Amino acid sequence: MRHTFIATALACAGLLTATACSGSDSGAGSGDGPVTVTVMTWESAPTNAAIKKALADFKEDGITVELLDTPSGNFGDKLASLTQAKKLPDLFWCGNDTEQQYTSQGLLVDWTEKINEGDGDFKADKFVPSAMENWKTADGRMGGLPSLMNAYGVWYNADAFKAAGVPEPKAGWTWDEMYAAAAKLANTNGAKYGLVADQLTGPDGPFTMSMYSVSAGGAPFTDNVNHPTKAEADDKYTEGVQKLVEAVRNGSVSPPGYDASNVQSLFAAGKVPMMFGGQWLAAGFQTDKPKVKYGFAPFPQVQTPVTLYDSVGICTPQYTKNQDATFKVLQYINTKVWDAVLPASPVAPPAYAPAQASYFDALSKAQQTTVVDTVKADLAAEKTVGVRFTTQWAQQVGDLTTATYQPIISGKKPISELQTYVGKINDLIKQGG
Amino acid sequence: MSRNAGSDVKAAYLFIAPAIIGFTVFVVYPLIRSFYLSLTRYNGLTDPVFVGLGNFRRLFTVDPAFWPSLRATGYLVLLYVPLSLVLGLALAMFCNQRFAGVRLVRTLAYLPVVLPAIATITLWKFIMNPQVGLLNTILERLHLPTSLWLQSPAMSMPSVVLVMLWGVGGTMIIFLAALQAVPTELYEAARVDGAGSASVFFRITLPMISPIMLLQVILQTTAALQTFNQPKILTNGGPGFSTNVLMLSIYNNGFPNLGRIPQLGYASAQVWVLFILIIAVIALTAKFTSLWTYSDNTPD
Repeated sequence: MRHTFIATALACAGLLTATACSGSDSGAGSGDGPVTVTVMTWESAPTNAAIKKALADFKEDGITVELLDTPSGNFGDKLASLTQAKKLPDLFWCGNDTEQQYTSQGLLVDWTEKINEGDGDFKADKFVPSAMENWKTADGRMGGLPSLMNAYGVWYNADAFKAAGVPEPKAGWTWDEMYAAAAKLANTNGAKYGLVADQLTGPDGPFTMSMYSVSAGGAPFTDNVNHPTKAEADDKYTEGVQKLVEAVRNGSVSPPGYDASNVQSLFAAGKVPMMFGGQWLAAGFQTDKPKVKYGFAPFPQVQTPVTLYDSVGICTPQYTKNQDATFKVLQYINTKVWDAVLPASPVAPPAYAPAQASYFDALSKAQQTTVVDTVKADLAAEKTVGVRFTTQWAQQVGDLTTATYQPIISGKKPISELQTYVGKINDLIKQGG
Repeated sequence: MSRNAGSDVKAAYLFIAPAIIGFTVFVVYPLIRSFYLSLTRYNGLTDPVFVGLGNFRRLFTVDPAFWPSLRATGYLVLLYVPLSLVLGLALAMFCNQRFAGVRLVRTLAYLPVVLPAIATITLWKFIMNPQVGLLNTILERLHLPTSLWLQSPAMSMPSVVLVMLWGVGGTMIIFLAALQAVPTELYEAARVDGAGSASVFFRITLPMISPIMLLQVILQTTAALQTFNQPKILTNGGPGFSTNVLMLSIYNNGFPNLGRIPQLGYASAQVWVLFILIIAVIALTAKFTSLWTYSDNTPD
């Protein structure tokens, strides 16, 4: 612990120093002098190197861009330290939940006016609509801009499906078909479970289950993850939970508590035939070739297709010294940098639609056709549900989920407890945490 | 007071000033500050808002994680402390004998203590992987029953304790020093009187090292109550709340995952509960010390 603490402290100290130094430069930006815009990402070293190279081509008189060198791990801790020290870089990678919470605390620059009324093509209507909607706060502010979309689906081992005589998943397949396939694939060829779905059984499980209820014509778990007014588990939702409980009970789906931290390696080694996951795995699979033939399918449905919406983006602290310069760099990242970075490492489609071509081209060149199809279907989906609450009291919901929802899925608590669980969340919503 | 004595006092204060300043800045101030924060709603981003005993009320009556965390902490202490003492003492007694290669054995027993903790714990996580881990692979080869280890609510805490016991060499080394300080003439006299091994252990060895045993009980209990590394890396508190010990719960509330707002006021309240718990355990241990520790200063 002590080693970790010291390492984290040194990393934070380094970051603080770096941002403090750049802060003095930025100060000049408030006048007519040169400006340094600092950028901090959570990307890996190779991706950061590609971003740095792309940023070197940013040419604007009086503006220098500095990408802060920071190891990609523990980004949340670093962000928290820098936030508390009021030393956040001018542009930093952030999730939609961070953006919502920081904006509600008045910590971020609101880009609404610039993105709605600015010049040129860099406008709100060029972004994926669900991403923009997701980044708006209850009062219509935007404390950052979405940069990359996350598309989720089901990764499957095509070889295992073929060996088991099960048809491969494809758009329009059903939840029942998924569970049936999982049952056939469990305990075969070194695989313990047929499906590992941490998103269904983990802390975000209640939200993921909304895909079932909404697809069946029922209500989602919550009406809005950013500013909810209620949570509910209607008949359709309860039916979905019941099916999952049964699948966990009969051993076809991994139970809550399954350590999914190395599930990608197990999948690549052919020991997990099916898993829920994001499109970003494609980039890793492209370099670390899995042993098996694999594919990426949309989530199953009951009647209509439903998927999860999620995006990450870039935020700017309220105290940035030169908002115009910062916005220019932000625009450059969204419109130009991904074109340079994604061909080598196609991690995610940009939220700024005109920049998506390079992502899909890279995947097509790598013959990842199922990924292309699924991501495109995901981005175009009409019915989407949020992945988790972004509210300040989200942590308390997480504890309630561990205390009640996960034991229900494990079969340790009766499914009737679902209403008690939902009731407690509604209490939190009413009290505001 | 003479002039010389006065300057001596000044010099003394000057010498202890760094310690006093350090203690004030790094212990007293954080203690007062954390107590104040425990009475506030504070996220580290905006100013603290005074909520009185609201955090403690939430802790004891609303938070679904608190009582399971307390249970997990108690379970860990009850499992780890006796096992580490017994194993540490057994290992020390083994290493206190004279045989060829005893120094190598002592070094090997202590080696895990000097290895980087995070790396070894991470390695244990792989070893205990139920699907591809070394432990289950060996058990399967031997046709013995396997386990889910860290992924089983029932086995997760024993598995965490098993990993903690990997560092029992630290306990061993202190016991070894204590054993070597026991006067040999006591053993010689016992042998002359025809005492058996069990008698020697219970009537000479154990009483003579009992002050060190007390020290170990206090140190190990305090360390166990503050366990963080192993559950953080191995299980992150799961499955469910089965290994969500208090320190981990405090950390997760104070420094939550990316995208969640820190609850530093609430975490401070938890810190105070842990602090009081540690004080209570040490006070209880100290209170009953005289019942089982031997002291040369015991009056006739």
